[in-house]
Formats: sequence, C-alpha cells, structure tokens
Amino acid sequence: MRWATRAGVHVDRAASAWLIRRFVDPVAEFVFVDDPEDVPADATAFDMIGVDLTHHGDRVTFETILDRHHLDDPVLIRLGHIIHEADLADDLYDAPEAAGLDAVVRALSLTETDPEVLAVTGRLFDALYAWLDRRQVP
Amino acid sequence: MVTTETWVFLVYRMPRQPSTPRISVWRRLKRLGVAQLGDGLVALPYDAATKEQLEWVAHAVAEAGGEATIWITTPTVRRFGRNLAAGLAGERAAEYREVIRRTEDALASGAGEPHRLMRTLRAMQRRIERRDHFPPPERVEARSAIDRLAIRFPDKITA
Repeated sequence: MRWATRAGVHVDRAASAWLIRRFVDPVAEFVFVDDPEDVPADATAFDMIGVDLTHHGDRVTFETILDRHHLDDPVLIRLGHIIHEADLADDLYDAPEAAGLDAVVRALSLTETDPEVLAVTGRLFDALYAWLDRRQVP
Repeated sequence: MVTTETWVFLVYRMPRQPSTPRISVWRRLKRLGVAQLGDGLVALPYDAATKEQLEWVAHAVAEAGGEATIWITTPTVRRFGRNLAAGLAGERAAEYREVIRRTEDALASGAGEPHRLMRTLRAMQRRIERRDHFPPPERVEARSAIDRLAIRFPDKITA
C-alpha cells in the first residue's frame, strides 16, 4: 500500500512511518508531498491537515494511528508519549527522552533526504522500542 | 534559522462559547512565543518548524468549529520586522530576568531547598528557551546564574 505525508519529515512523521511499516502494513511505500492536493489518489495520507490520520485534540499523529489501528501495546503507548513530547513539548507527559530525540531527528532532517531519514530513524525506533520493552516502563 | 524578514501569520476566529478550546488555543500560542498583532492575528518568525506549529494550531481551531488561515508574509519596510523581533526579545528578556531574580535570591539567602529550586529554574529556563526566537543577552545570563546556584550547592544537588 502507498502512504503519503508532507515532505521535510520530522519526529512525528518519522515515527508514524515506522509504526505503519512495523505494525500496520509491512510493505508500506512512502510518498512525500508539499501540498495536500498532491497526494496520489491511491495513497493514504497521514500527518496532514484534512485527513483522518493526523493530530486530533491533544493527540499527535503517532497517537492517532495507535488509536485507529487498536494498537494497545504498553510499550507503543509509552513511545507515543515520547513522540508527543518531542513533537509538541506541551508537558502533557513526563518524557525526558523527548528533547534528545527531537534534536536527533531535527539534525537528521537537515543533512539527509526524507527516505534516508526514514531509513535511519526506522532503526532508531526499532532500538528505542526494544529498550523501552526491556525497561518495562509503564 | 529565523530572520526578521519573513514571518508566518495565523489569522483565526473561534466561537465565543465553549470557552475551553479558546483557552487551550490561547495557551498553545503563548507556549509558542507568538507576537500578538491584533485580535485573532498572531505572528512567528518563519521557518519550517514555526510554520508547522501554527498549522497545528490552525487545525485545532478548525476542529473547535473556528476558522483559521496561515500566511507567509514579508513586511514592506524591514524596520517593521525588526520592531516585531525586538518586542518578542523584550518579552523573553523579562521572563529570563525573573529566572535570574529567583536564582539570585536563593544564592543570597541559601534558604529553603536550593537543589529543588534549581530543578524548577532549569525547567523554567528550558520552557522560555523553547519559545525564544530572538535570544536576548539575558538568556545566557540566566543560564550562568543557574549554573552558579548548582556550583554553590553541589552536595545538595542529588535527585
């Protein structure tokens, strides 16, 4: 399946792409567009205004995807809190990891193309998931 | 990197009632460090991140039944942009001065729990820096003041 999001990916889009490929659609292909009108007809858009898989109320896109696909793994929920704070920094959750993650993904997006950012952060989120799982953080 | 030459404007209008979403939008804007240019008109210096932050606020406004549009704009006279930036820098400077004042009070008296106060001040400082688009000299002064507090009470700074 094809998935579309805005070009210039940052932490919420990078994490959402990882979540989609790892837990929703293992053969997901990603397309990056500048304007919502450029989303291909056969693609599911995320983290864009005017679509379902995006910010809603207090939720960032990653948390919306967890909700829509009934992903209730506590490790993913905890990762969602970190992504939320890295994206919004609104202190809704206590996630000290967020500031560092934000810096790392922001730095990557300066030096790498969008597909490269997804490739690198994909491994990063795999590792973060394993680390959170091992720590059994609630 | 932001400049004073290009700005992103959010023009928005929300129903008076219910007031909860209005307050929540107002809090979000305050946290982003916007310049309030008028009723329902706020500005941030333009870059990809500030544009995206205002886009999410616009989305929240629309979800609450309001209307919002985002514009990338250039002042006709460069001074307008510089004045706007100076205004924002002044607001942040006042916030840093409050951090400095509280830090110096603690340094002078040593009373209370300086280690706990230091953590509070560091968190305050981080929140101000997040919305600080045109850092005034007070930013560095506030950081060094907190560092002095940390050095002054080293044995008490344990989590």
